[in-house]
Amino acid sequence: MESELERLRKKVENFPSASAYNRLAELVRSSGDDVGAEQACRRCIKEFPRNGQAYVILAEIELGAGRKAEAVKHLLSATERDSRSYTAHNLLAEHYIAERQIDQALAHLRHILTFKANDPAILQRIEQLRPAGADSAVARPAVAPRPPTAAPGITAPARTAQPGTASHAASRLTGLAALCAESGVRGALVADARGRVVTSAGLAPDVEDLLAGLAAEITGAAVRALEAAGTPRLGVWSLTAAQGQIFAFRREGDYTVVALTESGVRPAMLELRARQALHDLGAA
Amino acid sequence: MQEILVQLNRVRGVGGSLLVSGEGLTVASALREGLDETQLAATVGEVIDHGQRLCQHLALGAPRQLQAGSEQGSLLLAAAGNGWLVVIVDPAANLALLQLETKPFIERLAQRLSL
Repeated sequence: MESELERLRKKVENFPSASAYNRLAELVRSSGDDVGAEQACRRCIKEFPRNGQAYVILAEIELGAGRKAEAVKHLLSATERDSRSYTAHNLLAEHYIAERQIDQALAHLRHILTFKANDPAILQRIEQLRPAGADSAVARPAVAPRPPTAAPGITAPARTAQPGTASHAASRLTGLAALCAESGVRGALVADARGRVVTSAGLAPDVEDLLAGLAAEITGAAVRALEAAGTPRLGVWSLTAAQGQIFAFRREGDYTVVALTESGVRPAMLELRARQALHDLGAA
Repeated sequence: MQEILVQLNRVRGVGGSLLVSGEGLTVASALREGLDETQLAATVGEVIDHGQRLCQHLALGAPRQLQAGSEQGSLLLAAAGNGWLVVIVDPAANLALLQLETKPFIERLAQRLSL
């Protein structure tokens, strides 16, 4: 251990790199020297400000010392620099759970699923949070945990989550239910601009989280691609694969209806139903 | 391949075309002046990458086509062998007809890419 520490210390002095600093900070911390580890992290951040891992290690040290506010700030910095930092998103989720900000926690957990789909720990945590999230302003309602299904199939009745009255909820069900009643539609959901599920029908919970998260990423990338092509203002996108299709109907800045269908389904009627679903939701 | 794209651009409703690798690198380009092919290829690569991940996770098989539309036109991305053909589509174009007309071009490009 000591020789490795010495080697890394020499390396960061003579040939500094972000990975060497990170490894050094982790080793120093594992030897019980939190102050030394923090110094290594801060030097790394100073020399390699784009490196996200140093922020994560620093935040872990700060959490251990009870300096929550600083830790959260550094975890957010880590996710800005590395949007696929599992540890940073997971620690932020746990922080928000402790603060009873369930919607924020779910957003970070669902984001993890966009780059680590079907992660059992994250899926389980999301399931655990759903009942607690029912009281939240933007989280979804309580549902009984269900085992993930291997393929996206028709598994669940429509359910809703956005705040609103019972009559609003009923109209939302009508909108998506009408879409799902179209021939070849396996399921559909409405997601907000950040890829969070607002309401869904016919999709297993793990599928809807994944579909909403990745659909939001495709939407973002498609917006940029259309801008680069000189045709901005994305309204709809579709993806055709060997064993199915995905359609996304978007209202700018607000909500997107995403439908998972069999191959060969025509989009015209789906778009009509999707617009109706958005209208029922109050977004159109 | 450049020649194939130039011919494709003569089809009614096509406002430019580009052939990119799966990683979003330009293979051949026939875009109108003023468009940044590197930026378009990179953003298209991003769309393809996310699309492939989504198809993989949902067990939908390999993605064959992606389309993104706005009121001012649309982008048609079609798998062509190891690459992707990107077609900028005019807003007034008949998309169904255009999809049919691009098929032979896709096949020719796929053949060239497999050489």
